[in-house]
Amino acid sequence: MPLLALRSVSKSFPGVRALEDVSLDLHGGEVHMLLGENGAGKSSLIKVLYGAYRADAGTILHEGHLVDIKRPADARRMGIAVIFQEFSLVPFLDLAHNIFLGREPRHRVTRLIDHARMHREARAALDSLGLDYDTRALPVHLGIARQQMVEIAKALSQNARILVMDEPTAALSDREADALFAVIRRLRADGVAILYISHRMKEVLELGDRVTVLRDGRRVATMLRGEASANELIAMMVGRAAGAAGAVYQRRHFGEPGATALEVRGLCTASGVNGVDLVVRAGEIVGLSGLVGAGRTEVARAVFGADPITAGEVKLFGAPVHGGPDRVASRGVALIPENRKQEGLALKRSTQDNLLAASLWKQFPRGWYRARPARRHARALIERLRVTPGEPRRLASVLSGGNQQKVVIGKWLVAGCRLFMFDEPTRGIDIGAKGEIFALIEDLVKRGAAVLLISSELSEIVHVCDRAYVMRTGRIVGELARHDLSEENLLRLAMHET
Amino acid sequence: MNAPARSVTYRTRPLPAIVPIGLFVVVGAVLAGHGFASERNIANLGLQASILLMLAMPMTLIIMSEGLDLSAGAVLSLCSVVMAMMLAGGHGLVAALAASLGVGLAFGLANGGLVSLLGLPPFVVTLGTLGIAQGAALVLTEGNAVSGLGPGISALYADHIAGIPLPVIIALATWLVTHVLLYHTRFGAYVFAIGGNRDALVLAGVRASAWHIAIYAYGGLVSGVAALLLTGRMNAAHPTVAIGMEFDAIAAVVLGGTSFERGDGRLLGTVLGVATITVLRNALDLLGIESSLQVVSIGVLILVVIMIDSARRTWRVHPA
Repeated sequence: MPLLALRSVSKSFPGVRALEDVSLDLHGGEVHMLLGENGAGKSSLIKVLYGAYRADAGTILHEGHLVDIKRPADARRMGIAVIFQEFSLVPFLDLAHNIFLGREPRHRVTRLIDHARMHREARAALDSLGLDYDTRALPVHLGIARQQMVEIAKALSQNARILVMDEPTAALSDREADALFAVIRRLRADGVAILYISHRMKEVLELGDRVTVLRDGRRVATMLRGEASANELIAMMVGRAAGAAGAVYQRRHFGEPGATALEVRGLCTASGVNGVDLVVRAGEIVGLSGLVGAGRTEVARAVFGADPITAGEVKLFGAPVHGGPDRVASRGVALIPENRKQEGLALKRSTQDNLLAASLWKQFPRGWYRARPARRHARALIERLRVTPGEPRRLASVLSGGNQQKVVIGKWLVAGCRLFMFDEPTRGIDIGAKGEIFALIEDLVKRGAAVLLISSELSEIVHVCDRAYVMRTGRIVGELARHDLSEENLLRLAMHET
Repeated sequence: MNAPARSVTYRTRPLPAIVPIGLFVVVGAVLAGHGFASERNIANLGLQASILLMLAMPMTLIIMSEGLDLSAGAVLSLCSVVMAMMLAGGHGLVAALAASLGVGLAFGLANGGLVSLLGLPPFVVTLGTLGIAQGAALVLTEGNAVSGLGPGISALYADHIAGIPLPVIIALATWLVTHVLLYHTRFGAYVFAIGGNRDALVLAGVRASAWHIAIYAYGGLVSGVAALLLTGRMNAAHPTVAIGMEFDAIAAVVLGGTSFERGDGRLLGTVLGVATITVLRNALDLLGIESSLQVVSIGVLILVVIMIDSARRTWRVHPA
């Protein structure tokens, strides 16, 4: 009998089906790998297991008994522990407190925290992973990898019978990862059921006893070890239909690229970029693909001068750059960030104000704002970008995601930018608007701009880009020319260990 | 990974700048003379510091939880007024204290509930309750002082145990209780967690919102006790007497190195902050410098300490 079984679980949010009819068995003594692209439903599944979400339909069986996991405390009682990807450590509480958060050992009579016992047991939890960190250390003074190891120690110390790990090795070095794998094998031998989410094919094949692939919130298949090769698993994640029918946009026109707009050589940053080389020329759309956390956003930020560069060189239009975002922007570079609501728009201002925000000095060189030309100019832009509703006075906050994105693009367009870096430009945008955004982007390159497109949607890269780079753990691991661009090739490069 | 974890622990992390600067202020006050070091003035200092210390203790917890309590002074005034009216009406000291505690607790629960359950910003919530408490005190007293309280409460204020004034003992007891709460109970651990990573606490299966309310409720209760000292000191209650005291309390917390972000704080720092502010005000009093200039000097002190602490934080080498 499985320790924990999900039966036909579904969960929707307005406009999104996160999980649909998913069934999953977690057996004691078994490592169950969960595979899927971004947005396939892995995180939602964990949240249902842990009581952070409640399923709309379906049942959960714990050791054969029907259970209702309403909140995290219920999951804890059933022996479910989760190692989260987002860190759940308290920065100014010492490690012992963090490991025992919510279940601090207390003195029998005084009910005060039994510090001696807590530190002793925390020591044992850290030792079991071979960690020599001081139990009185504060997480705020530990690096990411060490915080991740503490996170693991925290989950292990709960003596969980069912352990869920969400990409536990994403922040770890090989040595730390090996220590973790040794622990996982030990736990498996002890009869613990482990649900393990990973994007690293090597881990999936070496560690997994059973593999489940999710796609678009549905379970594609569950297989035992050895029943599917890496390439077969990747094909299942991508889905056979995705190639043709899944395309949101088909590029119409491919031109000859012009002069080099952006040239990056040996770029390294403190944020994890490790020796990146890339070139973007005028008139081409270059994709930057890879899994979340591979360092794509960090490359764009470093190019834009938003993060300091520790080594390497960035050349814009043939000349090296120095200085921060203001200097880079003044050379005609635009960064359209992922979270456009926070970084790209003034939500409480009108469409017109947002469109003109980056080009006011250009429009009104004497510093004197005149309403009528501004309105005329805004209307022309709205028409060109096809923003709807086309009312310049409409607040940016009431526009749909797609139209907000058009406004952000338009803002940089009139500022005279020649290199555009898009970070996940279609996140949270409905399918119709996605096509319009890509039409705008294609229009940009047709007029001679250069575009670097960061996207986690493989089909976008395949159907929009002239060529693409693939990143993994801060490095470029491959470049795919137009005729090699396919979802399988992208995913293979992004997931395979070298 | 196997390199020795030379990590900074809670005990070994750098002292806040208040330590040397507080020492500098005290030494300066002693050297400036004007009877600062006299026995009578020292006893006076203890009395002056006691109410501020009581307000600053829960204020530390509130600020550590990424909160703020602007209503502390007004609630203290209201507690004092209610206590005095009970005494003037012929009720006993115990009943009067109970009423004061009740008022304090009610405001604490209201502050905490609005912040924790409705997610309103603490600044706005406590600005609102400040107005309510202040208004209630004025309405109850029609703007006048309440006197004729009988000898009981002023006798209590003047009492000594083992040569130490009772108000000082009550204030030190508040420190002790807060210390035990913060460093030796689950409640204390959750104060760090609510300020530092509230989601982590929720995911640990803890009812974070209840503990969040408890932080403000504790503040209200301590105000209720502090009203005993405030009323006893003057043997009367005035509806606006403690207005502005939250300024000194917040200043003491900030001087002590507690941050408004991420649950970074320490109780001992606040105690040193209280001592520094009290000594500074007292010394300036003795030198005949008027009260408004004292506020300026506290403001300058805060900015200097904050600048030093923040500069040291920026310069510190990044973690491994």
